[in-house]
Amino acid sequence: MNKFRFIFIGFMLTFMSSWVGLVLLPIWGLGNFKQVPDPKTGEMIPPVFSSLEREGHGVYIANGCMYCHSQQVHPARVRTDIARGWGERRTVARDYMNQETVQMGTMRTGPDLSNIGVRNPSETWHLLHLYNPQITSRGSNMPPFKFLFETRKKDPEKPAANALNFPKGFGPGKDFEVTPSHEMLALVAYLQSLKLSSYEIPEAPAARVESLAK
Amino acid sequence: MLIAVTVVLIIMLLGSIGTVFAFSWAATHQQFENLESAAESIFDADEPIGTPTDPAITRDS
Amino acid sequence: MSSENALNPDAAAIEESRLQRLEIDRAARWPVGIFLGSSLFWLLLGSALAIAASIKLHDPEFLAENAWLTFGRVRPAHLNIVAYGWLSTAGIGIGLWILSRLCRAPIRDSRSLTLAAVLWNMGNAVGTWGILRGDSTAVEWLEYPTYAAPFLLVCFAFVTLEAVGLIRRRPPGHIYISQWYIMAAFFWFPALYFTAHGLLILAPVQAPAQPPINWWFAHNVLGLWFTPIGLAAVYYLIPKIIGRPIHSYYLSIIGFWSLAFFYAWNGMHHLIGGPFPAWLITASVVASIMMFIPVITVAINHHFTMVGHFKKTIYSPTLRFVVFGAMCYTLASFQGSTMAIRSLNGITHFTHYTVAHAHLGAYGFATMVFFGSIYYIMPRLLEREWPSRFLIRIHFWSCALGFIGYWVFLSWGGILQGIELNQKETPFLEIVALTMPYLKLRTISGSLMTLGHVAFATSFCWMIIRHRASDGEPTLFTKRVPDPAPIHE
Repeated sequence: MNKFRFIFIGFMLTFMSSWVGLVLLPIWGLGNFKQVPDPKTGEMIPPVFSSLEREGHGVYIANGCMYCHSQQVHPARVRTDIARGWGERRTVARDYMNQETVQMGTMRTGPDLSNIGVRNPSETWHLLHLYNPQITSRGSNMPPFKFLFETRKKDPEKPAANALNFPKGFGPGKDFEVTPSHEMLALVAYLQSLKLSSYEIPEAPAARVESLAK
Repeated sequence: MLIAVTVVLIIMLLGSIGTVFAFSWAATHQQFENLESAAESIFDADEPIGTPTDPAITRDS
Repeated sequence: MSSENALNPDAAAIEESRLQRLEIDRAARWPVGIFLGSSLFWLLLGSALAIAASIKLHDPEFLAENAWLTFGRVRPAHLNIVAYGWLSTAGIGIGLWILSRLCRAPIRDSRSLTLAAVLWNMGNAVGTWGILRGDSTAVEWLEYPTYAAPFLLVCFAFVTLEAVGLIRRRPPGHIYISQWYIMAAFFWFPALYFTAHGLLILAPVQAPAQPPINWWFAHNVLGLWFTPIGLAAVYYLIPKIIGRPIHSYYLSIIGFWSLAFFYAWNGMHHLIGGPFPAWLITASVVASIMMFIPVITVAINHHFTMVGHFKKTIYSPTLRFVVFGAMCYTLASFQGSTMAIRSLNGITHFTHYTVAHAHLGAYGFATMVFFGSIYYIMPRLLEREWPSRFLIRIHFWSCALGFIGYWVFLSWGGILQGIELNQKETPFLEIVALTMPYLKLRTISGSLMTLGHVAFATSFCWMIIRHRASDGEPTLFTKRVPDPAPIHE
């Protein structure tokens, strides 16, 4: 072959075929979801994020949480996600429609978080866990996020209302208090909002059917 | 997603037809002759076939 | 030797081709030299971040006080630096040099390309700083924030333009397979980057459509950018070094087209089990299995070219690195095809096994082939030999043994992790605990690999410093550099 232009046309055509199949078709098929009304309450689901939750999504992204945590519940016949309590049913495409930059993830160094808002709704748990994962999960290899908290000397007259209560052996000591920064509160709000596999969306398999399959 | 499957199948079909066409074009336009010269094109008078070009080899081979 | 001797009519042809080759290497000295030299800086920085990230996985308190060094930033910084700072930068240099050689045309716009290299490095620096400060886009393989992209794209415009200029000035006749791969790569990569950055970061499509585009991009960086440059290098260097043409040119053409078509469709195998339509995943699974075709043709071709000449890997550092790399290409691709099979994927998805596989391709194949290529190219650019056989030996053995350790230990740990993840009774923290020894072994292996990189960078700098100190330019043109003794093990 001595004509470069034919080689060029050839390799651009093969490239474009993949572009049609793996970019264009997904945009058409997966890029135009609308909310649907919840059959029980009538409110539109999946719900749009509040501005604090949206900020928290930004904190999640800035600190790379996705590199250890996935956000996708797999069907019971493929994985033990549902058996582990990570979700009530497999997640479907529409569940993600309100995220700005989807964080489905490809690693499970840590557990899946699609439904963490249902599984672990407690703000206190999240604050302690994020301050130092060893407090709630001994042996975890998740890093501590102390830099998203503010540590200062405690003023005995005016202790901070939302200071963390550390169990024995953790925390900076009784002379100090630790409060979450705004970014940390946003992150926790985001985590509490993650209930991806709990929506009763028409195309989603019924949770009851999935859990029977366990 | 029936449309999507159809589109993918059409791409595969076009690809297969295109491949067959490209092969027959190549066969009739002498693309399969002289393949040896293509493989030999990386050599030249100064670095001919049979001469290793890494000085670490030529010392001993 | 240099005189045009009437007794030897071929002497004129020999002299002409020698001078042409020298002119080509001379024109490449600055542009290719800068790309290759700066790639080593990123290799070292990328290795340091790799070790930090690796330690953090078994010692999470390590360097954890500062937001800039939290694992979730260090890990993507490592990936982007080795992908775009080390592999891509070296790939551009190697691609341009091989193209220039095969087109028998010297690089013309040396100054613009040198500027382009500077821009490329600035893009990587700005991008890395961006990730560490918290501006990561959190799109895998595309984490550099938008403000780094213009540097990369402008540089690439110059590179592709020069490549087109070279291919147009080529002599009539067959276009060699390496030229096919390099030209394709130089068009594919900007098309991928531009499209993905636009659709995922600048004007993001709705979230559910993002993962397919993300993994179309990320997988194709491996298959349509690193792989073609790596294969181009192997297809050029093995025959050139041993002095024997490639076993079957016909097979290499089949390899090229089947790679171009099938590889591009692979990306969705990263999403098996996820919330996507079955046809999308299945298309990629099929394409992943079809990859056996190009990979087997390449393996047959390289093996039969090398047959009878394997002993030469004892003497030639380039050949040793390149052959190691070519074998890893075959292994990595076979492994990848098997990982796309749904039942096996059920065990390996989400585990450290995938990370080990990624390194088999990006390190075992691409990095080792690029090491070998640099060992071949630099003496020809600088017109002198590598200064120390000892450093080359350290480089090869540290990297080869370190990497084998890395891959074996991390894969093993990953499989155990995957098996336990599929046992619903196994508590999650127990799974974390069982991976610990393997993660520690990975840190040790990775440190050994880094030792090799330091040896290589030392060699490189020493060679450059020695070159500048020498004054023997004219003599190097006409006198052969004395051959060093072979490297015996």
